[in-house]
Amino acid sequence: MNAPRSVAAFVRARRPAWERLGALAARAGGGRLPLAEVEELDRLYRRAAADLALARSRFAGSDAEGYLSELVATTYRALYRPRARGAAFARLVRSEIPAAAGRRLRELALAALLFAAGLAGGAAAVALDPGAADLLVPARVRAAVAAGRMWTGELLTAAPGVAGAALLHNNVSAAALAFGLGLTAGLGTALVLLLNGLLLGAVLAYVAANGMAGDLLGFVAAHGPLELSAFVVAGQAGLALAAALVDPGEAPRREALQRAGRDAGRLLAAVVPALTVAALLEATISPRATVPPLARGALGIGLAAALWAWLLGGRRAARAATSSPAHDGGGDTLPA
Amino acid sequence: MEARPTLELEMPERVAVTLELAGLGARAFAWLADAGCIVLLWLTVLVAYSVSGDLFRELQALGWLGQLVALVSVFLAGWGWDVVWETLGGGRTPGKRLAGIRVVREDGGPPGLVESLVRNLLRAVELPLAYAPAILAVALGPRQQRLGDLVAGTLVVREKRFDLSRYDLAADGAAALERFPQLRARSLALAAEEYERTVGFLLRRPELDPAARQRVAARLARALAPRAGVEPPAEGDAEAFLEALVARAAEGR
Repeated sequence: MNAPRSVAAFVRARRPAWERLGALAARAGGGRLPLAEVEELDRLYRRAAADLALARSRFAGSDAEGYLSELVATTYRALYRPRARGAAFARLVRSEIPAAAGRRLRELALAALLFAAGLAGGAAAVALDPGAADLLVPARVRAAVAAGRMWTGELLTAAPGVAGAALLHNNVSAAALAFGLGLTAGLGTALVLLLNGLLLGAVLAYVAANGMAGDLLGFVAAHGPLELSAFVVAGQAGLALAAALVDPGEAPRREALQRAGRDAGRLLAAVVPALTVAALLEATISPRATVPPLARGALGIGLAAALWAWLLGGRRAARAATSSPAHDGGGDTLPA
Repeated sequence: MEARPTLELEMPERVAVTLELAGLGARAFAWLADAGCIVLLWLTVLVAYSVSGDLFRELQALGWLGQLVALVSVFLAGWGWDVVWETLGGGRTPGKRLAGIRVVREDGGPPGLVESLVRNLLRAVELPLAYAPAILAVALGPRQQRLGDLVAGTLVVREKRFDLSRYDLAADGAAALERFPQLRARSLALAAEEYERTVGFLLRRPELDPAARQRVAARLARALAPRAGVEPPAEGDAEAFLEALVARAAEGR
């Protein structure tokens, strides 16, 4: 290419090719191109990249350079976009999520421990000192139990779908908080896990002391196990962020944080659907008296077991299949 | 032109692409526009509900499917809004589209489900503080990233539209060139930046205050005349001279 003397002459000479490239890239982003057009796209793209290099050296700061920069970036995205979104999603579900859960076992154990400690603490406090219930058990629950009825389900049966959405919103908010507070070096996440455990433990003990344990367990049997499991996994995601902040290892903190963030995001990609299913059950099955407790229990335990089997069971196979430690940073949670 | 913070991307073709980072204003506007969209959706649903309560009850009576639709659609107006739009829309929510910005990964590609989940669920720690951490981080951080962006490894960039018609040969430019034949006598050494600035002035001059317009034209003409190796024109001829200069530069040789 003979060097153009002015930016305007350069633009006038090359503009038709650029505009053709822009049109092809827009169509390539939408779907398939015939082979001849793919070849044309490739040729025009290389040419535009060369034009950009020229514009950067000769016409820096011009609109022509900005235009080319944008054109090359857009075309690049269209050309190198992962072909099949479905295949990427399948890989996420089949191997990336279980691998992330398997890499963060320490955090998972800690999250479960914190939640269980809260649960035990809350239950013990109410069991040992009935006065603690005034502090730990919500007034709404105490009033309902005093009246000898369940506080759950009144709202739900009227408009289950909408009520389920409200439940889902609250549960995702709680999970997001448990995850996000990982940035407080894990203190916030630990607090959220402990407090939620404490509340649940206190309510369980209080209800049991008043002889209504069967009612409550019957209500939560279908959705509870899955919901609590998802919440603990959200805590695991938060603690993964915390671990990267506290002990980044060899990598710079920012890099360690982003690597942990990627794993945390994979965990969240399991948490949100699990919470959705749980909310759906809580709104539809749980308030329905016609479903026998045994069936509820089997459903709840079965779903939670399926979640854990997915997250933890497939991890050896997944690790063997997709071991690219440079990209996934497989070793960074191992004890130093 | 003032320097705005940018993201430099090295492409496989060994050429760097520059993306301009989105500032606080555009991002706040996008957030407000998204919030407005959601409020509008809610209002529509509420109005539809109050006008025909039966329709709503029928939806409920659909059983599983109806419940699922209601649940998912309400979720999409909450936590799901940003995640779903960003994942399926190449990093753009409706508000971001309106603001002319989009989310990109650090390698320039569109964010996936994982990145989008991370950057948006981290709002949980920013919202209770009225977004103060996000506002500070975007305003002060070198790459204008929110906490969620930092952890997810994403950035928000401006989508710029460039109009190449500014490089077209203007009809009046040819006429102006007739009036300054001395411009053709020698080669013209106009830097790209000088050319851009002159064209920018010529395009925008109808909006300028007449006195200021004349003053700027005269200053530009005085500064650029030496590039063509000619004497600066008379004050009243400055704009015509600039038109001729641009036309001469656009000819290229």
